[in-house]
Amino acid sequence: MSDAIAKESSAEGAFASLSVAIQTRIGRQRLRKIILGSIPFVVIFVLWQMNTAFEWLPAVFIPPLGDVFGAAITLQEDCVGIGGALTMDNSCLLTNHIFSSIGRVILAAVIGLPLGIAFGILAGMNRTVSRYLEPVGVFANSISGIAWIPLAIVWFGVGWMTTLFIMLNTIFWLMFFNSMLGVRSVAKVYEQSVLTMGGSRMDVIRQVYFPGAMPSIITGMRISLGFGWRALIAAEMIGGDSGLGFMIFVSAEEFKIEEVFLGVIIISLIYMATDRYLLAPLEKWTVERWGLIWKPT
Amino acid sequence: MQQRNDAPSLGWRINKLLQLDAMNLVILVIAVYIIWSVISALIDNPARYLPSPIAVAVSSVDMLYKGLLPSYFGDTLVRLIFGSTIGLLLGIPFGLLLGINRTVADMFHPIMNFFQSVSGIAIFPIIVVWWGNSDKTIFAVILYTAFFPIAFNVLSGVREIPIRYISAARTLGASRYQIIKDVLFPGAMPHIATGSRLSIGFAWRAVIAGEMLAGRQGLGWMIFTGQDADNTAEVILGMVMIGVTWIILDHYLLRPMEADTIERWGLVQR
Repeated sequence: MSDAIAKESSAEGAFASLSVAIQTRIGRQRLRKIILGSIPFVVIFVLWQMNTAFEWLPAVFIPPLGDVFGAAITLQEDCVGIGGALTMDNSCLLTNHIFSSIGRVILAAVIGLPLGIAFGILAGMNRTVSRYLEPVGVFANSISGIAWIPLAIVWFGVGWMTTLFIMLNTIFWLMFFNSMLGVRSVAKVYEQSVLTMGGSRMDVIRQVYFPGAMPSIITGMRISLGFGWRALIAAEMIGGDSGLGFMIFVSAEEFKIEEVFLGVIIISLIYMATDRYLLAPLEKWTVERWGLIWKPT
Repeated sequence: MQQRNDAPSLGWRINKLLQLDAMNLVILVIAVYIIWSVISALIDNPARYLPSPIAVAVSSVDMLYKGLLPSYFGDTLVRLIFGSTIGLLLGIPFGLLLGINRTVADMFHPIMNFFQSVSGIAIFPIIVVWWGNSDKTIFAVILYTAFFPIAFNVLSGVREIPIRYISAARTLGASRYQIIKDVLFPGAMPHIATGSRLSIGFAWRAVIAGEMLAGRQGLGWMIFTGQDADNTAEVILGMVMIGVTWIILDHYLLRPMEADTIERWGLVQR
């Protein structure tokens, strides 16, 4: 640390003033983190480029970086503008796969999350319900989405229904457990005070359970969508007829490794972007807004 | 600081669980059995869509008789144990290293974040291209999925250790190695336990998925080929096996171990 400072203070000229300007703009610690954090990425990038140049590993195994991005263009070759992509024209291969994966996530979220929350709150309120639903949930969670795929294929055939079923299965039970635990963690005092002031059962649900369980519910949303996304990719690989998972699986069978790399990168970018810029801020905001930091003793 | 009671024995724990949930479970199992039987009696072609529980039991007897079930089960379990053990053995030291040295942590944190969001199942096609449908492929996927949860957990475990413990040890003249051995490692113990459970959970999913995709014998393969061969009874049997195995592993082995570790090593101080 100390010799880093020494090195920087000895630097001279325009470079020094520029570096000071950058440091004051971004902040010393953050800049350090950004630079250090980018080292492994740069190393991998350089190694990758060198591999392309010297062919230590053949291009069949590690495709040149250019080919990976080239694959995106090749896949979209016959696509006519943004309109074609949005209407999911048959020629827009890449965007079609992306949209069908995202579409499934949205559909599963729209159906699965409210259902999971509703059943979770019900089970959190009512011991009898939870006593019977909980073991089922434990078992369903243990089977894990992936193990349902063969049976789902038998029931629904290859395609939309199977992938949707797998995702719903994953999302529903995780959401159920999180909402249930959230409701149980709400202190009894709040419920009693609402009842004392003449609130109905509906008031208790609306004013106490739902907001009280909110942080847990949002965390559950984040976890279940993360797991759901993984399960969806697996489901598309085995029992899908479109989507990113299907794309990388088929490309691997045809040894189009550059398409596989492209697909994997897109899959993780979509997950990272949703998690970091949508779900994580939402979770933070909810905990700040609804979190019961004050606890009655 | 709370007084620590002697940890209850395993037998006592199982006994208590049985007392608590036995009645409900019996009712539940009977209810599921009846509903399942009724549905399978009502639909057309139950052998294909939903074989009755009896048919599943018969198929399990059949597979046991042929010796297939124990062999598949063993294969899967060996893969899980082998893969997750090595994953943990790699992940724990790496997490410790990241926790000890801030520069190393800052360097590797972003790239670990990136790779963690690339799920093991998504890199499966790449590894298949590299190594084909082999045990090596499944092993690599298990290792990959098990590594990140434990590494992240150990990292946050080490970070949460109050700095005064490290300072105290240093004041008493502890060497760097002693600090790691006597302060950081025990202090991170609860997180190591939690991370191990997470890692093994992820690894379990990876084993099943890997066997399905790579076509190596095991429980995942069993349900996958069962579907191909129109043998739905076998599929359901495999699913039940997968579920029961994980429940036993998680609820009767990993969770109690985690709870004991947290009780023994947890730095809960008021």
